[in-house]
Amino acid sequence: MKFSEVVDKVQGTVVVDNPEAEIASAYCGDLLSDVMGHCGDESVLITVQNHLNAIAVCSLAGIEAVLICHGRPVPDDMKAAAEREGVGIAVTALSQFAAAVALSSLVPAAK
Amino acid sequence: MKFDLHIHSCLSPCANLEMSPAAIVERAVAAGMGGIALTDHQSARNAPAAAECARRAGLAFLPGLEVQTAEEVHTVCLFDTVEQALAMTDWVYAALPKRVNDPDTFGDQPVVTWDDDVVELEWRILAMGCRRTIPETAAKVRELGGLYIAAHIDRPNFSVLSGLGAVPDGCFDAVEVSRTADAALWLPRAGGYAAVRSSDAHNLDDVARVWTEAECEFTVAGLRAAFAARATRLSPPLTSF
Repeated sequence: MKFSEVVDKVQGTVVVDNPEAEIASAYCGDLLSDVMGHCGDESVLITVQNHLNAIAVCSLAGIEAVLICHGRPVPDDMKAAAEREGVGIAVTALSQFAAAVALSSLVPAAK
Repeated sequence: MKFDLHIHSCLSPCANLEMSPAAIVERAVAAGMGGIALTDHQSARNAPAAAECARRAGLAFLPGLEVQTAEEVHTVCLFDTVEQALAMTDWVYAALPKRVNDPDTFGDQPVVTWDDDVVELEWRILAMGCRRTIPETAAKVRELGGLYIAAHIDRPNFSVLSGLGAVPDGCFDAVEVSRTADAALWLPRAGGYAAVRSSDAHNLDDVARVWTEAECEFTVAGLRAAFAARATRLSPPLTSF
């Protein structure tokens, strides 16, 4: 699934695009240590963790994009890191559960 | 006496490399601080250098570290001696991710001397949480004779309120509010703990821009007594970040 399709399904807004990404799976998590341990690559991370360090974890774990829930704002330093690291960011008004339901055709990320 | 209890040096991956212990001490003295603490993420390895700089400048100093717990909450640990702070560091290091730090992702982590030579680059990941919980960390700090402060409780990430919804009873000696926080808004949610305001400086301009004031010795025992008496006064918040 393309990132644009992920964003459409959750009625989100793209903050940093990642048009090349092929997204096969998804993971819900707000604790970054848990995300690092369990979220596989080619995935989208569904989270409320609107912090710079979320992008660093994506970069290390091969996560293609972050979907920030509940319309939380994306800080400028997080946006800059995502642009630098080639990680997509989108914001949705949905909760993590509602976003996961909307993306239920993706397979669970496993690691 | 005014003091700033939460300052990062260049060892913290997210801090500016200009944050040498010497430069921090110089800035703190110029800003009229009577004491400072050095609190890098997960490590006190620059505390020996900072202690030497502070000694040379006649500035009171407490070595410490900011432990990111298993709950991914930032907590400040302060000690009287560098040995205690390094013992705490060893205990945290044993529970860090095994992965090696990637400086391009998180940032460089130089361990330095008091006169700004780089000794080595810390290889561990200091930007991630460790496997120690808040109660475990509180018990270890107490065993080593230190103070335990919940960092920036007003922040939307990595704070005890954002992560756990409340400040746990019986764990902390005080709570910290950050530079711009309205203390009147946040302290009612602080579980009755004593309060400090600290800079959490990651660059030189922010060192001692806010502070806490108390008539006490700048030691663990002195601060503990000031906290118990609720005798700390906070500087006004900054109106812009």
